[in-house]
Amino acid sequence: MTSTDVKPDETTSAATRPARPGFGAALRWETRKLRAQLRTKALLVGAVLTPIAVVVIVHSQARPPKDTLFGRFATENGFAMALLLLGFASQWVLPLLTAIVAGDIFASEDQHGTWKTVLTRSISRSKLFWAKTVVATVFALVALVLLAASTIASSLLIVGHQPLTGLSGQTIHARAALELVSASWASMALPMVGFTCLALLFSVWSRNSAVGIAAPVVIGLIMQLVGALGGIETLRPYLLSTPFEAWHGLLASPQFTGPLQESVITSAGWSVVCLVAAFLILRRRDITGD
Amino acid sequence: MNTELAVDAVDVTKRYGQLVAVDHLSLQVAQGEVYGILGPNGAGKTTFLRMLFGLIRPDSGTVRVFGRSWADSGVRVLDGVAGFIESPRFYPYLTGKQNLEGLALLDGGDRGRHGSRIAEVLDVVDLAGRENDKVGGYSYGMRQRLGVAASLLRDPKLLVLDEPANGLDPGGIRDMRGLVKRLAESGLTVLLSSHHMDEVEEICDNVTIMSRGKVAFHGSIGDLRAMAPDPGHLLSTNDDAKARIIALEQHPEVAVESDPQGGLVAIGPPERLSAYVADLVRADVELREFTPTQTPLEALFFMLTDTQSDTDEATGERFSHRQKAGVVR
Repeated sequence: MTSTDVKPDETTSAATRPARPGFGAALRWETRKLRAQLRTKALLVGAVLTPIAVVVIVHSQARPPKDTLFGRFATENGFAMALLLLGFASQWVLPLLTAIVAGDIFASEDQHGTWKTVLTRSISRSKLFWAKTVVATVFALVALVLLAASTIASSLLIVGHQPLTGLSGQTIHARAALELVSASWASMALPMVGFTCLALLFSVWSRNSAVGIAAPVVIGLIMQLVGALGGIETLRPYLLSTPFEAWHGLLASPQFTGPLQESVITSAGWSVVCLVAAFLILRRRDITGD
Repeated sequence: MNTELAVDAVDVTKRYGQLVAVDHLSLQVAQGEVYGILGPNGAGKTTFLRMLFGLIRPDSGTVRVFGRSWADSGVRVLDGVAGFIESPRFYPYLTGKQNLEGLALLDGGDRGRHGSRIAEVLDVVDLAGRENDKVGGYSYGMRQRLGVAASLLRDPKLLVLDEPANGLDPGGIRDMRGLVKRLAESGLTVLLSSHHMDEVEEICDNVTIMSRGKVAFHGSIGDLRAMAPDPGHLLSTNDDAKARIIALEQHPEVAVESDPQGGLVAIGPPERLSAYVADLVRADVELREFTPTQTPLEALFFMLTDTQSDTDEATGERFSHRQKAGVVR
């Protein structure tokens, strides 16, 4: 080390005028960390490029996937292709996409042992918690927008933009179809935020990135399985996987939006419960270990 | 002069199930003091420092830092406080400089104000030139020094260092101790946790020795030295039996017993030991080894904490001879 003297006035002067970091500082720090991670960039690039490859592959198939929603028309109609991919993505891709960041964002502090680094500064646990929550949620929405834009654009450019045949057999003209397909993708935002909050809860609770990432995806798949069973009609609206199907009403004639309204309540309910639980766990937690 | 205590811990207790990690600990550190907390691993030092930083909550008692407690001031307790617990940890995918910039953000600083300060503290810890390397590639010693840099960035009045030389090679230990001494001489209040007696003896004014969560000693280094036992020496001769007889008959102040590892252990005041060795030579006893065992303060540390390193059982057994000999002044 150098023999540089550390003068008292150099080391103590600012102690009497401590600055107070705001929520914005925590937000900038969390954003900076996320942007620096290769995984984040890879996910966003993947959200743009993967749909293009999938559209090309499905479009090149001689036989369309008839047994799936809009599969029958997917190789002939770009709107149907975009909706086919939406149905596929909502099964596990969207929960996974958000969980990779949200399920890791708290647990990685345990993995790196950095809780003690950040919590011995001038920032409170509460501000850090909300900063991480906002960053994970914004990432989920950005990833969704990129995935949706890439899917719709590549579907229309590669397959075409002929009028779409709706779920009731009605013909939907291209302009209206584009609006409905975009709205259908947009309806994914609410359950995706719900899954983000679920992943945040697992990240805080388990302190383990693998659990934080995998658990929401597995729970999502289980919910879909449960939702497919008969005799649970009263339970189905409360499953976090149900809002992923709320867009079906938009493509029917006449349209029905009841499921979309229910999805707002369901997603918000899950989000609030998960965030409150995660917040309380983090706030009361003893930071031990290295 | 401000007489407010830098640290005022009163009757602090922390339990983990049946284990009492810190047991009714009271400790006061005055401003400008260099204070040592000494104890073997598991004594409760780090648990206490975690409570000071608010990382864990005490089950009972209060910890006040510059008059503030976590209960009434929240994170403002840490105004003017910096340091690290155990080994400092950083984000491995960021560079050293990026880590410090981020921590400066969390201190409420902006890049403009902290830009030159970051360069300054990196220079103090001799990391200038390596600041743009990712921390994942730093050696253990470099991360320790980055931890000190991150602490200095807060312009602390109280610097808390938990085993700062832990895991460092001899050169790193020397450099780290030199840095801590320079910081202490600059007027900072330093709270240093260690399990190395020599480190605390070299740097600190006052010390609390902890054992199993409790205070085993509290006072100045001078008080501690006054309590220290006589120095012990390993003795190897060609005729141990004769050497013991000479001690018994001519030097009752010198306790000589067999060492389990072979040879003898002689304990007594330095001038008496010298006389004893001279008589051994006069009696034609060949002296093949005469080696100090522990320093007196190390010996006292072991006595007060009643522990021995698992890897140093021989030392422990040797020390037991001194305890039996009752040589603590």
